[in-house]
Amino acid sequence: VPKQSQAKVTALSRLNSKGKAGMQTPSPLSWCILGIICREGMPVYSVFDDEGKDVTPHPLFRSDPNTVLPRQGKLLASSAYFGATGSGFLSSFSMHQTSGVNGTLGSFSRTYGSSSTSLSNASTTESVLDEIVEPEQKRSRLLTSYNFSDVQVRQEEIKEWTNEDLDRRVDIYLTETETIWILDMPSVVVSVESEDAGRVLERNRIYVDICKNRPGNDRFVEKMMQTINGAAKNKEVQCDKIIMEDKGMLVTSWDLYDSFNVSEIEPTSKYYHVKTVFFPYYLLSGSTTSSLMISESAVLARIHEEEECHSEAILTSENFQQNLFFMERILMENIFQPKLAAYRQFPVLIGLFLIGCPAAVKEAKQEEHDKEKDKEEQKDAFVDPSILLERLWSYICDLTSGHNVSTMAWSKVNPDLLAVGYGAFDCKEQKKGLVCCWSLKNPMWPERIFQCEHGVTALDFSMASPNLLAVGMYDGSVTIYNVRSCNDAALLDSSESSNKHTGPVWQMRWVEQDRGATGDGKKERLICISADGRITEWFIQKRLDCIDLMKIKRTESEKKKLPGEKERKREALISQQAAGMCFDFHPKDTNFYLAGTEEGHIHKCSCSCNEQFLETYRGHKGPVYKVAWNPFSTDMFLSCSADWSIILWHQDSQTPILTFSSTTAFVHDVMWSPKSACIFAAVNESRAEIWDLSASILNPVTSCFANPRVKFTSVLFAKNTDCLLVGDSKGEVSVFELQNLAAPNNNKVRFTRTRWWSSEACMLVWYFIPPKGASVKDLANRY
Amino acid sequence: MTLIAEVEETLKRIQAHRGVVATMVVNAEGIPIRTTLDNSTTVQYAGLLHQLTMKARSTVRDIDPQNDLTFLRIRSKKHEIMVAPGNISIKITIELYVLLSFF
Repeated sequence: VPKQSQAKVTALSRLNSKGKAGMQTPSPLSWCILGIICREGMPVYSVFDDEGKDVTPHPLFRSDPNTVLPRQGKLLASSAYFGATGSGFLSSFSMHQTSGVNGTLGSFSRTYGSSSTSLSNASTTESVLDEIVEPEQKRSRLLTSYNFSDVQVRQEEIKEWTNEDLDRRVDIYLTETETIWILDMPSVVVSVESEDAGRVLERNRIYVDICKNRPGNDRFVEKMMQTINGAAKNKEVQCDKIIMEDKGMLVTSWDLYDSFNVSEIEPTSKYYHVKTVFFPYYLLSGSTTSSLMISESAVLARIHEEEECHSEAILTSENFQQNLFFMERILMENIFQPKLAAYRQFPVLIGLFLIGCPAAVKEAKQEEHDKEKDKEEQKDAFVDPSILLERLWSYICDLTSGHNVSTMAWSKVNPDLLAVGYGAFDCKEQKKGLVCCWSLKNPMWPERIFQCEHGVTALDFSMASPNLLAVGMYDGSVTIYNVRSCNDAALLDSSESSNKHTGPVWQMRWVEQDRGATGDGKKERLICISADGRITEWFIQKRLDCIDLMKIKRTESEKKKLPGEKERKREALISQQAAGMCFDFHPKDTNFYLAGTEEGHIHKCSCSCNEQFLETYRGHKGPVYKVAWNPFSTDMFLSCSADWSIILWHQDSQTPILTFSSTTAFVHDVMWSPKSACIFAAVNESRAEIWDLSASILNPVTSCFANPRVKFTSVLFAKNTDCLLVGDSKGEVSVFELQNLAAPNNNKVRFTRTRWWSSEACMLVWYFIPPKGASVKDLANRY
Repeated sequence: MTLIAEVEETLKRIQAHRGVVATMVVNAEGIPIRTTLDNSTTVQYAGLLHQLTMKARSTVRDIDPQNDLTFLRIRSKKHEIMVAPGNISIKITIELYVLLSFF
């Protein structure tokens, strides 16, 4: 043992011998220090314990500082402390040692052993474990040198690691070590009466002195030490990528509503459920239709077998049909908007300027009308501005072109719904007839098309059941259609009735009649007049059933024998009946009516009397095509005939009151205006005329000429607006707007009548009525 | 007339109107079923209009969930586009677009 260290060793040993009494450090091992822990370059010593084993602590320094730094730090610190503190600490330390137990050093050696072997092994952990697992063996391994050479020798001693050894599976067990006591100095209590008490007291006094002297003493230096941070070791592990998805959703109130109502919709189709699952996704922001396509593709994947009938399904789906319907209507609205506005009597916007009332429009468009002449004529006599006819549009389509418009009727509940019957008047032009229901909202295609076997000559809408349309045809049959259904088939047919007409049904009406006897209030009857000379009433069974169709009973409530001449006797029914052409029920009292015949007579008949006429009006020389009661002055009625004239009658007078003849053509139709008592429209083959009795009785106030090859055949006033519909022989129904019509003066009937009566006409008429046989017409015309 | 024939005829009538430039029937994926334009233009229109229709419908239903969009018209300087949207509760929505030019 070199001298330098010997002193320390000696001190140690001395202390060893002395300090036994005070120390009672329990430790499993008893050690005896023979050497000193030295740093590199210092002499190397060996330490042997009692059994003679070499438990030399391994050197502190290692060429690989990373692995042993933590422990080395501790050891260095302790060694530095050794050097610094000098004997004081050493004494305490040695006191600890003298007990003969040095668990701490033992632990040091243990760590030394581990650190030394770490160098020699490739795997650090293995060395540590080996060290810990077999501490005894390591202790037995002696380090003879503390310097590098020793380490390197150790390294050379180790055999070469082969690849197999490197690849060998190494099991690493990590366990918790025993608690390593770095410093364990339990306090000791000694009785003052023991023999060591003096020594203990002396020692304590020395210690106190040291503590007192410590601050400021050169021998005590505070030194900082930096602990070395534990080197973190990064270990990377690869695992399967965790796929994450973000889903966002826009919650809307209708979405919530739909989700709540899902249960209410019957779960018939599984697709719907799939759809609801995917429902939210279609709102995801994204490319154009991709989001919906995602859901759709999922849905469609399940129905791939139905691909081929998709487009058919789409096209025939109800939704699509409705869409088409709307689209067509809106297109019509686009196209016809100004005309429809004029129909509804809105101010018409032309371009960007609000023209104002139709009067102003009339001023701007006078050149379209050929009524300047008439206007000027009347201007001298009357102050009122003249009525103008302005054509708005026509109800015409490919289907109807070429057919002759024979009759028109408005629906009773929907004033925009028009039924038009197409059929020829002459027997030689007969072809298949047609009934079309036109709506204001689509002037280019009818809403309902009913094909009929024969030409249609009469039709009327029912009032009690507004969906029923009764149609009379050229062969005498009566059919009832239901316009609610798109079906072409007739609801009821008279073809199997045994009592049906044998001649064309020239007019038919649904008439509401008071049936006081039945106590049923107003009952509606279907009345027809036809060319076989019969006016018939058709009964429809209560149940509108197809089965009951056969039972349309025609009670021949009135069988009229219409004598051709006054003198003719009443003979057998069949041959002596004159053809009936038209009829009209009295607006106030539906018990009696007028009937016009082919011979030119107009008969006033009553429902309660089947045998006789109440009165006969003779004035026409040709078939009377139409009779019409004045809706306001209910004693007057008009009749038009093929003898080119229109005659105004008073029901009390058997001779005409006034005759209007303005043209040399058949007057096919005449109708009173529903708003004014003095205005009526008449249509002959080449013109449609508006007559205003308060303005002139000689000439129509306005007229509209037909195209050269076309004849006007029927006329109809619109109920809710000032428009006139004129049907012609080519299947076109033109709609004309009446401008500058006087305000409806239906409440001034009496006044008008009196005024009218008080004008020259009335005086003339009354003057001329009494003598029979006088040519009233000539006088009237002359006037 | 069979249903499909009637539908076809109505479509033809709409197309034949003066002023109608084009008509398209498109399903929800933008695949045209009937169209009078070329495919690329149709697909472009369908994609764009579909989004707009969905947005419009969403707007309408947001205000009142019991309401629904029945028709959409877009008027521009040159044209007017009219869209009749389909029903979203059935599995395939069908949309009908008509292009109308002012005259």
